[in-house]
Amino acid sequence: MGLLSFLRRAAAPLARRTSPQAAEDAELFDEAFQRKLEYLAMASKRVFAGVMKAERRTKKTGSGVEFADHRDYAPGDDFRSLDWHAYQRFDRLLVRLFEEEEDLSIYLVVDSSESMGFHHARKLRHAKRLAAALAYVGLANLDRVSIVTADSTLGLRLEPTRNKKRIFRVFEFLRRVEAGGSTDLGSALRSFVAQHKRRGLAVLLSDLYDPAGFERGINVLRFNRFEPFVLHVVDRADATPELRGDVVLYDVETGDEREVTVTPAVLERYRSEYDEYLARIERFCVSHQVSYFRADVDVPFDELVLRVFRRGGFLR
Amino acid sequence: MSGLHLAGIDAATLARAGLGLAAAVVVLYVLKLRRRPIAVPFAALWQRVLRDRDATTLFSQLKRLLSLLLQLALVALMLGALGDPRSAAVSVTGRHLVVLVDASASMKATDVSQPRGEEGPRRTRLDVAKERLRQTIRGLSGNDRMLIAALDSTVTPLSTMTGDVGELERALDAVRAVDVRASYAAGLRYALDSLRGLPNPEVVVASDGALGEATDGRGPVDLGSAKLSYVKVGDSSSSRNVAVTGLSVRRYPLDKSRYEVLVEITNTMDDAATVELELVGDGRITDIVKLSLGARETTTRFYPNLSGADRTLEARVRLADGAFDDLPADDRAFALLPERRRARVQVVTRGNMYLDAALLLDEYLEVVPVEPDAYPAEGAFDVTIFDGVAPPVAAGSGGVLYLAPPSDEHTPFKLGARLTSDVATPLGFDELDDRHPLVRYLSLGEVNVGRARELEAVEKKDATVGRSLKGTLLLAGRRKGKPFVALGFDVRDSDLPLRVAWPLFVMNVIAHFLDEDTGYISSFRTGEVWSIPAAASEKTATLTLPDGAECLIPVKDGRAVYLGQEAGLYGLSLGGERSGFAANLSDPAESAITPEPELKVGETRAGELEGFTVGARRELWVYFLVAVLVVSALEWLTYHRRVTV
Repeated sequence: MGLLSFLRRAAAPLARRTSPQAAEDAELFDEAFQRKLEYLAMASKRVFAGVMKAERRTKKTGSGVEFADHRDYAPGDDFRSLDWHAYQRFDRLLVRLFEEEEDLSIYLVVDSSESMGFHHARKLRHAKRLAAALAYVGLANLDRVSIVTADSTLGLRLEPTRNKKRIFRVFEFLRRVEAGGSTDLGSALRSFVAQHKRRGLAVLLSDLYDPAGFERGINVLRFNRFEPFVLHVVDRADATPELRGDVVLYDVETGDEREVTVTPAVLERYRSEYDEYLARIERFCVSHQVSYFRADVDVPFDELVLRVFRRGGFLR
Repeated sequence: MSGLHLAGIDAATLARAGLGLAAAVVVLYVLKLRRRPIAVPFAALWQRVLRDRDATTLFSQLKRLLSLLLQLALVALMLGALGDPRSAAVSVTGRHLVVLVDASASMKATDVSQPRGEEGPRRTRLDVAKERLRQTIRGLSGNDRMLIAALDSTVTPLSTMTGDVGELERALDAVRAVDVRASYAAGLRYALDSLRGLPNPEVVVASDGALGEATDGRGPVDLGSAKLSYVKVGDSSSSRNVAVTGLSVRRYPLDKSRYEVLVEITNTMDDAATVELELVGDGRITDIVKLSLGARETTTRFYPNLSGADRTLEARVRLADGAFDDLPADDRAFALLPERRRARVQVVTRGNMYLDAALLLDEYLEVVPVEPDAYPAEGAFDVTIFDGVAPPVAAGSGGVLYLAPPSDEHTPFKLGARLTSDVATPLGFDELDDRHPLVRYLSLGEVNVGRARELEAVEKKDATVGRSLKGTLLLAGRRKGKPFVALGFDVRDSDLPLRVAWPLFVMNVIAHFLDEDTGYISSFRTGEVWSIPAAASEKTATLTLPDGAECLIPVKDGRAVYLGQEAGLYGLSLGGERSGFAANLSDPAESAITPEPELKVGETRAGELEGFTVGARRELWVYFLVAVLVVSALEWLTYHRRVTV
């Protein structure tokens, strides 16, 4: 029995790869989708009228005009940056730091773990469309957009790119993304921050089904001075599984098994536990000033993107 | 359980089977339940949910134990059913019963309690008898066997000797009351024959007791060792019935447009009653009269010189006070008038004044004289008279009267010696069959005959109607359904034409050929085998029953044969010809519907039907199976409500 269930589980991702998934991916970014992207790009400019191209503040300190901080003088620093008033008051040589004005780096981190492929990969497809939309808006605003996939490690990577004409590369990249592997966002994002020295906005598109805890991945971004933006991809079908009777439940990613007799009462408890999990994630993000947005797969992506714009945090 | 014993599988086998099955059930419960593997996107969410359930594991185990106990109870109950436990009180050898259900006319009486508030036909005694017997059938024990037979003018077994409740109930449903008297002795003899050699034989008679004596041609019925039980139906205190017990009609011989009717009415009650008698001809009321009848009085009413009705006649009687008559079956009687039509007579003669004169007497005759050389005349005839000739009989000649046949080459009889009269032994009718319709109302003993030829019958069925001491002079018979009559002398060689008897004799012959004699049977009596005149050479005839249904009946020797059990008007189709007749119950014994309080066969008095717990089967295995069903339903319910799993 165990062998059978193992074979069945092993065959599941294969089945998805050879399934009509490819055909669906071809329709993922069809002409209608692209028209909506153009509309979203225009809408983003109308909402944030007056914002200049590449006129975005980053936390990178440099040669800008707006004071950011002090640091100790080090040999070789430009004398013009020394703060003589501070020297008089504290008897220390301090260099004034200014916020450097440069183009924003937007990193779209797409969770490509097995759980994102659950329920006919509805969450992964939704995440791909959202990523494509956000990438287009970023490219249209002359930002540097990069996309990476993550499960327990970093997967595919789209080099930072600018100009909205590159959007087709984005589409091509996202089409290649498939669900697989287990989730370990902490580990994957540690690799991410190590590979990306240029800080920026890190948009995490994930269902946050991380056995090690969803907080780890977000904290890695926070602690490495990235601006995390959590786009929580949610499928309500996960909350209402069609289960009945004596079953053995196994995790699609880890294979962990658990015997359970599913009754309406058990299902009800599961639903409330699921809701509690979503609420816990939201509480965490809010309490740590992390932009959080819940992206339900049943809500059209364009409507979701507009809501993201209105909430702020993605565009400044 | 000391009062029980097992009639099915023995206790040792049951114990072994029980242990095996119980062990199997326990093993199945011990084996881990195979569960369906279901993938979930994030099992960690379920961990929290199931953490609380772990606390209830002990309770779950208890529930599984309850489920196991239910399964074991099911096994025990099924084994119990297979064991077929019986109470020691009913463990005696089963009884064998033959139930004779009286289906005679009196069982149509409605003097039984009627269901309240229900419209439709009233309940009859037969309905009540069926109800009681149905309860008895359901109370049969596993060892009892029963056979159900309908008892009317014959005995009709409707089931085998069986304990199958379904078959017995179907047999009971098939019993229908008919308008006949029950053949009690025949029924008892059949029952005793069926029970011969079987243990605990019992004859059950479900009846109102109006069965008469249990005696037939073989003498009184001897029950032997068989027990006699009586399921009595009917209420003697409330029976009300008046009946038409006789109806006869005939046309006047010389004026066939008129007829006379005799009706017999019987009051079967112990009280005097005023009744209303209605005579209906061809559907129209001919006469209505009120009559007062004393207790159990029978009276007749004669209606002379009636006219109007052409074919059907019906007598109806009802209580004048409007009270309900408990037996409607005998309130009506039917009769058919003899058909009145102009008969066609072909007279093949060289001239016979006496014959011509006799034929002039009946205005309903169409006489066609034919010279012997011109025979046969055109058309079909009812009667052909060969006067002094005997040619081959042509088709369409009808009945044939031979007067002084010259030769026997083409005749259905042989001519014997020539006979002459002398002083010592005058020639005449020395012997006459007075009952024969040819000589009814005739006085032929004084007839003198000068000379004659002796007639010799060829077939045994030929009737010698009149003969002299020297030989047969008047012969009658039938060939291929067609009648013939032969007179062995020329009437002109006798003084017969000078007598009144001559024209009457000719009329009798013609009436005999037409089946229209004055002794016409206006109706048959139900419950008897009817021989209906059928003048054709067909082997079967189509009989139309009073309810409109049709059936084929055999024809033998010019008579259609049928055992009639329903009163009413019948139609008979034979070779394209249609005729009709009536049938009536006309049985005062059946009309006397007061039920008999007791039933006797010889000196044996019937007892009550005993030993049945009405409405309850005595096989416990049925209840075991019912319990199995209940427990299964419980298990199903609790499983789906997640109580036991």
